[in-house]
Amino acid sequence: MPTLIELKDGVAKAAEDPFTHVADDQDMASGDVIVSLGRFQAEGEGLLSEGRRVGVRLKAEEEVEALAYDLPQLSVVALEFPKYRDGRAYTNARLLRERFHFKGEVRAVGDVLREQAAFMVRVGFDAFEPADDASSNEWQAAAHRYRHVYQRSADGRAPAFAEREG
Amino acid sequence: MKALTANRLLDGEVVFWNAGQWVERFADAQLWADDDPAAIAAEATAKNQPKVVVDAYLIDLVESEGLWAPLSYRERIRALGPSNHLHHGKQAEGGAVIAALQHAHGAARSTGRVNLIKRK
Amino acid sequence: MYQYDTIDKAMLADRSAEFRGQVARRLAGELTEDQFKPLRLMNGLYLQLHAYMLRVAIPYGSLNPTQLRKLAWIGRTYDKGYGHFTTRTNLQFHWIKLADTPDILDHLASVDMHAIQTSGNCIRNTTTDPYAGATAEEVDDPRVWAEAIRQWSTFHPEFSFLPRKFKIAITAAPKDRTAARVHDIGLVLKRARDGALGFEVIVGGGMGRTPYVGPTIREFLPVNRLLSYLEAILRVYNRHGRRDNIYKARIKILVAALGKDEFARQVEAEWAKIGEGADLPDTELARIRGAFAQTNFETLPAQSEAFEAAKAAKPAFARFVRNNVKPHKRPGYGIVEISLKGIGDTPGDATSEQMEVVADLAEQYGLGDIRVTHEQNLVLPHVKLDDVPAVWAALAEAGIATPNINLVSDIIACPGLDYCALANARAIPIAQHIAEKFRDQDRAEKIGELKIKISGCINACGHHHVGHIGILGVDKKGEEFYQLTLGGSGAEDASVGSMLGPALPYDKVADAVDTLVDVYLRERHDGERFLDTFRRTGVTPFKEAVYADAH
Repeated sequence: MPTLIELKDGVAKAAEDPFTHVADDQDMASGDVIVSLGRFQAEGEGLLSEGRRVGVRLKAEEEVEALAYDLPQLSVVALEFPKYRDGRAYTNARLLRERFHFKGEVRAVGDVLREQAAFMVRVGFDAFEPADDASSNEWQAAAHRYRHVYQRSADGRAPAFAEREG
Repeated sequence: MKALTANRLLDGEVVFWNAGQWVERFADAQLWADDDPAAIAAEATAKNQPKVVVDAYLIDLVESEGLWAPLSYRERIRALGPSNHLHHGKQAEGGAVIAALQHAHGAARSTGRVNLIKRK
Repeated sequence: MYQYDTIDKAMLADRSAEFRGQVARRLAGELTEDQFKPLRLMNGLYLQLHAYMLRVAIPYGSLNPTQLRKLAWIGRTYDKGYGHFTTRTNLQFHWIKLADTPDILDHLASVDMHAIQTSGNCIRNTTTDPYAGATAEEVDDPRVWAEAIRQWSTFHPEFSFLPRKFKIAITAAPKDRTAARVHDIGLVLKRARDGALGFEVIVGGGMGRTPYVGPTIREFLPVNRLLSYLEAILRVYNRHGRRDNIYKARIKILVAALGKDEFARQVEAEWAKIGEGADLPDTELARIRGAFAQTNFETLPAQSEAFEAAKAAKPAFARFVRNNVKPHKRPGYGIVEISLKGIGDTPGDATSEQMEVVADLAEQYGLGDIRVTHEQNLVLPHVKLDDVPAVWAALAEAGIATPNINLVSDIIACPGLDYCALANARAIPIAQHIAEKFRDQDRAEKIGELKIKISGCINACGHHHVGHIGILGVDKKGEEFYQLTLGGSGAEDASVGSMLGPALPYDKVADAVDTLVDVYLRERHDGERFLDTFRRTGVTPFKEAVYADAH
């Protein structure tokens, strides 16, 4: 199992993962689960009716708009980085927060490296499964390396132009 | 004939293999016959030195003025330096091997480079 | 000029510290080359044939004398005493050591410079008109918008891992000196009849393997809506641009595949959802605009006696003025172009000494302002006509007064196989051979405007597709060959050149160009440029002459 790093109130901490990733060809696990979009569309209602927490894992090419009506019932949306260079999940994360006002966990999975931490935090990710064995301390340092930002984004940080206005 | 080349990690300098050491001059490079398995073995060793060099690969050579020179134009430029600044790079020191490189003819991609392209 | 404040400076310091850590991890073996390569590329550091190459960003091609002196110093201290100006108006150092790069980035940061986003699949340095703020042709100062984009695009959290690199150019003059129509996004500032400023938005132009002149997707975008509109374009591209094939990943392929109308529809739909919240507040725009307001012009007569007397007395100066000095919006001032295309020199190279001379001249005579052009030359945008003779004399002393701007020897050439790990063939020596052929300045002036552009591979860093004569180096079984194209243009009359015929060997290219010029001189009507004649006659007379010679 990969280590999970959670970001709470700006602090990155290693955490026990209460969720089980269930692949499409695996039997359904008990407890809280994260499933693919396809499986959620087929089995989601049943899973939710059992009272467990459910997350959906979106591939890079799947768009969050597909979950628009389900988001209030979801605890986690896990966004896949098939390669660190594939930046589609950044858009998905930002739209989840800014456009759909999703309040649950947005988790980065796949080729997740600490060098991306600052970008990920800015677009609204708050949980990470690092592929590079980064510790929570290393993640914390990488995510907060920059004292200022230039643009508005989902993290609500004041951009340079707002700081300048004082 | 073949030689083994790479760029040194620390400064990017073009280097050639000679008996377990990396040397800067093509004149000092170790040369192998085309079918010598020692060349492949040296390449394998070199690829296992990620803190020393980047992208080690074997290059093909061609005879020029009684000496050996890289077959491909690209490899000759690596062994010499840029042709627009003749006092820059390895060519600045001159000598018979440099002259042979400058006068070499040959027109084929180095097989090592082809492998490198395929690998990516 | 725009001055970095504590926030801008902190950004650079934080970036430099981050890269120092990454280099240390690489040297210690904690990062493999595969892991490190994208990190160094994000800092403009390539491993080329002979050494590392560091590409320093020159945002919208604008430099002050302190910055240019620092570049000269870095060239002398860490390189071989020179630097190479690029078609993205950046500066490359070609002989850099990995272990030195963290220190170099610190030195750059000390003068508000950096190498951020000079490589990688992110938004690259935004380019603009090198005459910005100096030419009477412009409807607004495009640097205001270029600076707004610089900040918006720097470390953009959503758009730093695009399908492919992304280049934006802005021009505010009808005469386009930025090649806006062959950029991922070209922005042309226009003034509506009611006086309102807006952008014509061109998306999906480009060169490389599949060249396109970009279509206009919006005729008039109110200027204060720029950033939200860019966000919409980039979001559509980030989501739908191809990621399965590096050669089909640029936005031009997406725009061509969807068609410009459908692409525009998607952008407009996304833009409507984004809303005005993503635009820059007027206060910030006013702050940026204020930084570019030039207040220290003197009130001068339109004519300068010293200038006219020097022209009359010195034919060489008169020739320099004819070709390298352009009209300024203020009476008594001129725009002075400094050619980095000395006959036989490497296009775009400047020695550290030359950079220092230009920095001194900018300080003494040029209101401290220096520009880099995408055609690999430098510009002193604000020189009093009274001072042009002194500037010319100093440039001549430094070997950079070649009077050939826009002439046949003012050639764009990428570094090519002499340096670049991607190249198939050399570009620089081809440029040198051609320049030598046209060494006779009378003949060069008689030929008039002729833009030759040379690339050492299909990636087209040398803009060959938009050369009046374009030259592309190809590898034929390990030998250097060159494909010629005719009739391209990167200006407001943009077009992609068409192929002349079979590729020529290395030693036949300069002769072929000579032949093409002879055909032009024979065929041209009064006032026609090479490009105009070609567009009228078509390729046939040119083709017949070149391939008759080849046999």
